[in-house]
Amino acid sequence: MKRRDFIKKAGLAAAGSFALPYILPSGRLFASSGTTPLANHVVLVMFAGGVRNQETIGQSYLQGSQMIYAPSQAQAELNVSGNIMPNMLVGNAPSSKILYGKGTGGQIPILPVLSNTLQQQGSLFTEMKSSSAGHYGGLNVLLQGNTFSSQGLKQRPVNPTIFEYLRRHGGPVDFPASKLWFVGNTIGNSVPLLNYSLHPQYGSQYGANFFAPLITFGPKGDAYLRDAKIYHPQDQLGPMYEMKYFLDNSFENIGNNLPNIGNTEAEKYQIKQFMKTMFNKTSAGTISFPPDHAAAGNGDTATVGYACEVMKEFKPKLTVVNLSAVDSCHGNFTGYLKSIHRADHAVGHLWNYIQNDPVMANNTTIIAVPECGRDLQPNLIKDSQNNFFGYDHSDANTLDVFCLMAGPSVPSNITVNAANNPNFSGQWVTADIPPTIADILGLKGDVMGANLLMSGAGSLFDKS
Amino acid sequence: MKNLILHLNRGSKSKFFFILVTAFFVITLPACKKEEKKLFDVNETGILPPNSGKNKLKTNEQYVAILHANLFQYALSANQIFEIGQCMESIGDQELAREVVISNFMNKPGTIIPSKSQMTADLDFFITDTYIRFLVRKPTEAEKTYFENYLLANITPTDTIMPELVYISFALSNEYMYY
Repeated sequence: MKRRDFIKKAGLAAAGSFALPYILPSGRLFASSGTTPLANHVVLVMFAGGVRNQETIGQSYLQGSQMIYAPSQAQAELNVSGNIMPNMLVGNAPSSKILYGKGTGGQIPILPVLSNTLQQQGSLFTEMKSSSAGHYGGLNVLLQGNTFSSQGLKQRPVNPTIFEYLRRHGGPVDFPASKLWFVGNTIGNSVPLLNYSLHPQYGSQYGANFFAPLITFGPKGDAYLRDAKIYHPQDQLGPMYEMKYFLDNSFENIGNNLPNIGNTEAEKYQIKQFMKTMFNKTSAGTISFPPDHAAAGNGDTATVGYACEVMKEFKPKLTVVNLSAVDSCHGNFTGYLKSIHRADHAVGHLWNYIQNDPVMANNTTIIAVPECGRDLQPNLIKDSQNNFFGYDHSDANTLDVFCLMAGPSVPSNITVNAANNPNFSGQWVTADIPPTIADILGLKGDVMGANLLMSGAGSLFDKS
Repeated sequence: MKNLILHLNRGSKSKFFFILVTAFFVITLPACKKEEKKLFDVNETGILPPNSGKNKLKTNEQYVAILHANLFQYALSANQIFEIGQCMESIGDQELAREVVISNFMNKPGTIIPSKSQMTADLDFFITDTYIRFLVRKPTEAEKTYFENYLLANITPTDTIMPELVYISFALSNEYMYY
């Protein structure tokens, strides 16, 4: 019944729009997949490393973050609100005091890449709760759909990640290792540990490929990885692997096996060729970075550029991209605003890139969701540029996040919240993301059936 | 007199008989002791392959430092070891990361690798030396036989990099990752 109410509202909102082709014969609009994939590809953007709803979907800009904490003489100038995410959200930009853009003092907003925002193209969940207030815990939830008090900060996820669910239950033909990618923006904060879990029934053999491109293809990779020889796959690598396997079999009797994500020899060869190409493209300046990366980019825009290259080469079933430049908010609120604006620019470019890819266009669903929010009250640290207060992430406001989803079978221009869905008594949580991805790729039953998700977690297609 | 002699003879005879019986028992009784069954055996002892003591996984930094020393016969700086470790961490497939790092080393001047002719001139020495260099142990006879047969069967006249490939296979082996 709850579902029907949502569908009714969704149907009204979408009437006459291009969402009509997605209405199912049953009359249901927002339908889960069962075993039939809703799209062949999913891109999950773990959006930006802790952002407050106030500056994102709340669009309160300086009015909601700095004005009331500023000296009275400065309050009038800071009484400005507006949307600083023109690719993702509908809303007018702040009318004054623009300092998040490019140029001197950030006074020029970066032009949007998308002519229609992702909000218009998809569904916006405005009342999602983060299941963890910390970065690593938050990322863990987005990938494993659960959270544990025993989860260590320098430990792989305790429960299976969505990568492992897909590879184990989807099988090696549809979900080989090279079809699942995690593109991280750092090797810090335990990010490289997130491509597979410690779970005994899943683990490394079902893990995803991972690159932290700023390292892999940055100055360090250039110094130590770039000159790698590419051996002939049959004539040279064939004998080499044969001898290696003999040595491994000999050692296997002792019981020591190394974690291995199971790229085949052909997949490894493709990845090594890809790396070679990336070094060349990086030198030539032809990586598919967002349009304003050169003028106003940061680590997040660079990471998205390499994520586009990964998608171009491998056409992954699932691509996960981690952005986190906004974490500067602890002590640099101006930098935080700039980083939100750039993360939005990067996501707009990513979606535009996908829609221009012959394989992934119209067959890819994007999900953008922060791993956590930030505090309601600022800390005492002021930034050097504008004397703005910073924000940490430890109170109840930290749990408030949004989720934006667009792609095939996702109703367009829908806002999902309690007001629009009065009969839905549950909660939208970040732990819903893994089952939602599984739902899109046709494996919801397997993931839900494993009984390893957080209580109440489920596909967002079933929670509307 | 005759009776006395007879008495004496009779006494000597009985004494002699007594001595004879006593001697018989003294000699024969120990000989009648039940024979002990002795069992000759070998003490039970665990027999493990020569690589069994390797149960600690090398860190990326340890791996790179040892690999470089094995290939170039001199050490990397601490800073280089740290940075290469970071590069490896930035790649999810660690086996692939090791392949890339090794082949990067192989592309640099200064690697100390026997030539193909040196390898084929004394295959037995090459195999033993490679085991000692990378795995810090001598090969078993089975291992030696495998590599001898494999290399003899696979070295082609045009092939020039077989020693390099042997080295890579050892550097990528699971045993090399442990100490």
